[in-house]
Amino acid sequence: MKRWDPWLLLSVMAISAASYLAQSSTAQALDRPGFAFRQLAWLVVGFALMVLVGTLDYRVLARFWPLFYTASVLVLIATLVLAPVRAGTRSWLVIGAFTVQPSEFARVVVILTLAAVASVHQEALLAPRKALELFGLTALPMGLVLLQPDLGVALTFLPALFAVFWLGGLRTRVWALLGTAAAVLAVVAFFSLLKPYQKERILTFLQPDRAPLTAGYQQRQAKIAVGSGGFTGKGLKSGTQSQLRFLPAQRTDFIFAVWAEETGFAGSALLVFAYGLLLFRVFYTGLQARDRLGLLLSGGVGAVMAAQVLVNIGMNLGIMPTTGITLPLLSYGGSSALATGLALGLVQSVWRLRFANV
Amino acid sequence: MSYVRDDLRPLQRRLAALLLLTLFGILILLSRLWVLQVLQQERWRRLAESNRLRKVPLEAPRGTVKDVNGEILLDNRPAFQLLVFPEEMKDLEETTRFLASIGIASEQEVGSRLKKAIKTSFLPSVIADNLTFSQVAAIAAHRAEHKELEVHPTTRRRVPLGPVVAHVVGQLGEVTPEQLAQNPELRPGQLVGRSGLERAYQHVLGGEQGNVVVVVDALGRQVSTLEEEKPVPGRPLTVTLDSSLQREAAKALGPQVGAVVALDPKTGAVRVLLSQPAFDPDLFAGHLEPQKWQELVADPLHPLNNRALQALYPPGSTIKPLYAAAALASGVRTPSQGVFCTGAVNIYGHPYRCWLKGGHGHVALEEAIEASCDTYFYYLARDAGIDRLASWARLFGLGSPTGIELSGEASGLVPDDAWSRRVRGQPWYAGETISVGIGQGPILVTPLQLAVAYAALVNGGYLVTPHLVEGQGKPPKPLGLPAEALAVARRGMERVVQGNRGTARRLGALPASLAGKTGTAQVMRKKEGVTWRELPWEQRHHALFVGYAPAEDPRLVVAVVVEHGGDAASVAAPVAGRILAKALGVPEELVDKIIVAEVSLPEGPAELPGGQP
Repeated sequence: MKRWDPWLLLSVMAISAASYLAQSSTAQALDRPGFAFRQLAWLVVGFALMVLVGTLDYRVLARFWPLFYTASVLVLIATLVLAPVRAGTRSWLVIGAFTVQPSEFARVVVILTLAAVASVHQEALLAPRKALELFGLTALPMGLVLLQPDLGVALTFLPALFAVFWLGGLRTRVWALLGTAAAVLAVVAFFSLLKPYQKERILTFLQPDRAPLTAGYQQRQAKIAVGSGGFTGKGLKSGTQSQLRFLPAQRTDFIFAVWAEETGFAGSALLVFAYGLLLFRVFYTGLQARDRLGLLLSGGVGAVMAAQVLVNIGMNLGIMPTTGITLPLLSYGGSSALATGLALGLVQSVWRLRFANV
Repeated sequence: MSYVRDDLRPLQRRLAALLLLTLFGILILLSRLWVLQVLQQERWRRLAESNRLRKVPLEAPRGTVKDVNGEILLDNRPAFQLLVFPEEMKDLEETTRFLASIGIASEQEVGSRLKKAIKTSFLPSVIADNLTFSQVAAIAAHRAEHKELEVHPTTRRRVPLGPVVAHVVGQLGEVTPEQLAQNPELRPGQLVGRSGLERAYQHVLGGEQGNVVVVVDALGRQVSTLEEEKPVPGRPLTVTLDSSLQREAAKALGPQVGAVVALDPKTGAVRVLLSQPAFDPDLFAGHLEPQKWQELVADPLHPLNNRALQALYPPGSTIKPLYAAAALASGVRTPSQGVFCTGAVNIYGHPYRCWLKGGHGHVALEEAIEASCDTYFYYLARDAGIDRLASWARLFGLGSPTGIELSGEASGLVPDDAWSRRVRGQPWYAGETISVGIGQGPILVTPLQLAVAYAALVNGGYLVTPHLVEGQGKPPKPLGLPAEALAVARRGMERVVQGNRGTARRLGALPASLAGKTGTAQVMRKKEGVTWRELPWEQRHHALFVGYAPAEDPRLVVAVVVEHGGDAASVAAPVAGRILAKALGVPEELVDKIIVAEVSLPEGPAELPGGQP
């Protein structure tokens, strides 16, 4: 155990336990028995994957980034072609009895790729050409995910790019340029790319009473669930909002609200604290890393997870727009659980090899 | 190795900043949790318990459908529907018993509907949609103990003409999971067109459902309305159907089984589309009761089938004018070439009989059509061969769907050598060609296809797409048949009615110029010396007639099939004759005097219509 990070393992186990309990509740509400156990099974496999990857050497893995990267781009293209349409998107590949969401794994590969490419460079700041290369490496898989279309997953590629830019260092001028480009893109996207319901969600967030029917309705139901949980909660499997199905997407986007309603402030603060501890340990690993690669890798994993946690819980609490970004480990999903295990495994590898004299 | 550490310093500083930013975010989440769950818990708890938001769908009234004269085929009448709110359901069994006791449906049926409603969504669903006033009153009286139930005003489809247009207007049904997946604007439990015009023009008639979000208190009383999305009513539709002719067709066919199609031969506009037996369209105006559905499905006469475009019949002699025109066009025959019919002929060492026992004597093409001489067409079939016969039939659109807007159209079957090898695994047998020459054997058509084929015959040789809405369908396609070939076929069909050997002479007395062709489709081998009336209904031949009028410049083509009608001339021809006479404005009293039809019914012996409606 000396080599492992006990705090990280502990926080992952705590969150996994909460996930199992919350999923049990929503499985009852939606009359889908067995789903909670399946989630638990995936979490256990994810944990095993984390330990396995943790025993490898992240520097060796990073060397093979072109292989991983090419493979994930090919699989994403295959997904666009082969995947059946489900809920209006082509995101899941069916392999035998399992459905896999390749975009979840592609995100981990992108984090590894960006760290590997950026760490080769030893200057104080990233050269503009290098920055452009990093941008391209992110844009390709992200674009493929947008084509599915899965906005929720695609958006989570951005923190990885941002983290590498920020940590690697960019000139102020380049930041200014990026900021302007992003602003222009956001405006263009708002008026042309986004589907009406997605626009509606953003406007709803800015003006909550705008549409109690759709996005506003969902946010309102989530807030009612969280708030009515009170300090001690309504008890497991007894949340009226979830059991009476007022709460939308309660297995995925709004699973936090299920937990908050049933365990109250006591349970939800504990869960938020567990996420805080997990993120702290990931970033701390980066601070302790022996080399640039380890630092960038941990920083990338930390940035993406932090964004997911803050945006998803924020939207459950009505302080972030509804974007379809799920909560790692807590939201239902085998691919998400495995990909999270993979990413944390990389961080563990950095942690275990943090001493330069090993 | 210390230099490695050194050059990481600026990166570590930036990473520390990221960490601090994240922890700051976590703190914000914690404080927001504190605000919601501790400081404001009372407010949210009140909302969760007593201040329920209810999202109630507002149905869009469907569009009305009018016929070519502006008569209403489909509109709406007010009705009451019963909604159930899953989150208010306390005791499923008790509610089931209550609803069964006021006669909504059987206990089992109510139970399964309630369970389905609770399973599907947290939104209210419709349990019944045609409540009687006493049911509405009973539910209102028990409002306090049944908060999960609510009565809403709605509309229900009304078909003023009833069964006469049942197949054309079609049915509504609950939206299927596949349709839901394809159309984001559809809602579970919504009624959408399942067949007929309701289905073909769902995008016009359907409109868009709306919603209203209401706030109800702990007693289930409406406190306020938060937001209303007004439904967009369906748009009206005008169709080419002519109700007066449709009614005339139903009257003429009486209680017999069969189909009638009438078209404007120049455009393909459908004026009559009738299939019998029909059903009461009101059964399908809302949520159907399974037991009624079962009854209709199990009926051996299949009242739900639209025979006009789904039933397949051998065309019998009605195919002869088509072959005649094509044979002239391709030079296989000239108008003056004749045959001598002795009543029977040997081809390929096999005797083939003409329907007229004594034979027709010398006939050329026009007389062959007039008297429906089989011998002439046996020889023609022999000389043309099956592949040419098949190409002639296909030229007139047989063997493939006509392209009418309604769904479920059958393709029919035009057999040829390739078909025989593909389907039966053996080459075509030449003897069968001779049967196909008189429209028997494996060749199958729908009444609609027959009407389209005859339209091409009499409109100068253009294949039209039959349609129910003006402007639908492809433009008429020229078939490249010479005018003279078509003229000979038409003269033959005029002689069918006007000539002294015409098989439909009985229509000749009408003060209007009718033309057409009779046809008898064998169901089984005819027994010698037995009249059709002595046979059981299901062994009688199908009776066909395709007619048009006025003969010189046709405005209407009518195809009639009477299943097991026995005799084309006395059973099918009068039906077409009545419709054509009505279209040409012949006074009804006169028509009644001239046209005396026989009737062939599934039960009992055929009888003359005494008390026709």
